[in-house]
Amino acid sequence: MFLALKELKYSKLKFALIIAVIVLISYLVYFLTSLAYGLASSYTNAIEKWNSDEIIMTVDANDTIMMSFMDQADYNSVTTTGTKAKLGLFPGVINDPTATNILDTRIDVFFFGIDNGSFLKPISNLTLTGNQVIADEDLQKEGYQVGDIFGVSGSTQTYEIIGFSKKTTYQTAPVIYMSLDTWQQYRYNTPTPPDLYSGIIIRGESSLGSSDSGLLIYKTEDYISTLPGYTAQVLTFTTMIVFLIIIVAFVLGIFIYVLTIQKTSMFGVMKAQGISNSYIGGSVILQTFFLVLIGLVIGGIFTLLTGIFLADIVPFAVNIVFYVVITFAFFLFAFFGALFSVNAVLKIDPLKAIGG
Amino acid sequence: MKPLIEMIGVTKDFIQGDNIIRALKETNFTAYEGELIAIVGPSGSGKSTFLTILGGLQKPTTGRVLLNGKPFSDLDVQEKSKIRLDSIGFILQASNLIPFLTIKEQMILYNKITKTKINQSWMNELFLKLDVEKLKNKYPNSLSGGERQRAAIAKALYHQPSVIFADEPTASLDTKKAYEVVKLLAKETKEQKKATIMVTHDERMLEFCDKVYEITDGVLTERQRT
Repeated sequence: MFLALKELKYSKLKFALIIAVIVLISYLVYFLTSLAYGLASSYTNAIEKWNSDEIIMTVDANDTIMMSFMDQADYNSVTTTGTKAKLGLFPGVINDPTATNILDTRIDVFFFGIDNGSFLKPISNLTLTGNQVIADEDLQKEGYQVGDIFGVSGSTQTYEIIGFSKKTTYQTAPVIYMSLDTWQQYRYNTPTPPDLYSGIIIRGESSLGSSDSGLLIYKTEDYISTLPGYTAQVLTFTTMIVFLIIIVAFVLGIFIYVLTIQKTSMFGVMKAQGISNSYIGGSVILQTFFLVLIGLVIGGIFTLLTGIFLADIVPFAVNIVFYVVITFAFFLFAFFGALFSVNAVLKIDPLKAIGG
Repeated sequence: MKPLIEMIGVTKDFIQGDNIIRALKETNFTAYEGELIAIVGPSGSGKSTFLTILGGLQKPTTGRVLLNGKPFSDLDVQEKSKIRLDSIGFILQASNLIPFLTIKEQMILYNKITKTKINQSWMNELFLKLDVEKLKNKYPNSLSGGERQRAAIAKALYHQPSVIFADEPTASLDTKKAYEVVKLLAKETKEQKKATIMVTHDERMLEFCDKVYEITDGVLTERQRT
């Protein structure tokens, strides 16, 4: 402890440079993690909100819920240990009909058609009647307020916002909740649409009737992994983060190793004087831990500051569990890096310290 | 007088290819308290073999080393290392001061490693004796050669070892400074009842020593003085 700290104090510049490298990489890793988690969340927020276990769609849809068409008979034939709810899901583009340039106000959204009594409704005390909708808070950030009207591309219908729901995005786009009837009119663009919807969301476990050979049950997490680009994106980020942590271990390991080699003769003299390998090696490891600790704290602070300033621009989300795991991984890998140096210390021969 | 370190029937062989080379012929050696002993000899004479065996850094092929009357050379590496830390002080050419510790911290390091209390009064006494009071908060790099060796002596004495090894303590010093350092070493050896074993090339320093040994081709002989 004593030796490790005194050296940090004495060789400030040298160690500041090493810390700077750790700060930059840890900042990048923490920030990437927050971004990756934020992005992944914006894909799945609306799904997580359901708190569901299973999703049922048609086999024909080939994992694409928008291409799944189901009727009342399908709904009746599904039995469940918990509750079930119909969901209509279709993308759309909304605009502000009062704007001078309507094209500038286009926003990509997803329309969710739900039954008023179902657990899919994000705000349970609001009733969806006619063209009344509950919209994601993203629209609030775009300037919409409760009572505002918006139009949709490809239709003359307009809709009125009666409330804003929190954390309800689907594939990064805000979700707009409406009654299933209204959704069907939008989906088929006719006042007398067929009574069809996209899928059934299940809380609990479900089983299909014998006539339901055309349906397929997905676990909710399996369904999420079929979302276009979701798996690829999570994999890309994860790979980047894992590699960055390994790179830190190498960079740090090499730095510490070079510093240790520079001090070979000093360590030799110390060993000749009877200072044990464990004290010298322990001090090398401790020093590594201090460097990592200081680097991670500064990197973490930078990440949080960036998060505060950029939260509205990029999908930045804090996940304490991920941070803890990454921090632990940093320490673990840095420890492995430092072991090379400890090994070098063990090999130093105190005999060389005494010439004659 | 009490013998502090003894070598009894020690030899050291090195294997070089198919040949066995006897680097140190059978050697008996005793250093008593209060003695400053000089070891002289050309390089390659077995001087460093002698010193490293005495210091427990190498095992003798035959014979044994006793430190404070107790077996030393027979112990395992870790135990020897522990005893070195407590019972032997080292003054090496220049490098035994740790560059990133102040002179005061060099001494405190011993307390940190052994988890003992800092002996403040003894430390202050040493600072005064060796005239390093003003240097105690400086780093070795900012000291002159003489100052550094005085600090090294203070450090070697701080943990009150029974034996001090000084390896060319005057190597980088001019004559005046070298005399000062050796005189100090002689004085402290007497006062503190240590045995100091000093390896040196410097014949001028021998007048301060109680005994002078020469090593030639692995044979240690005491030089008779007039």
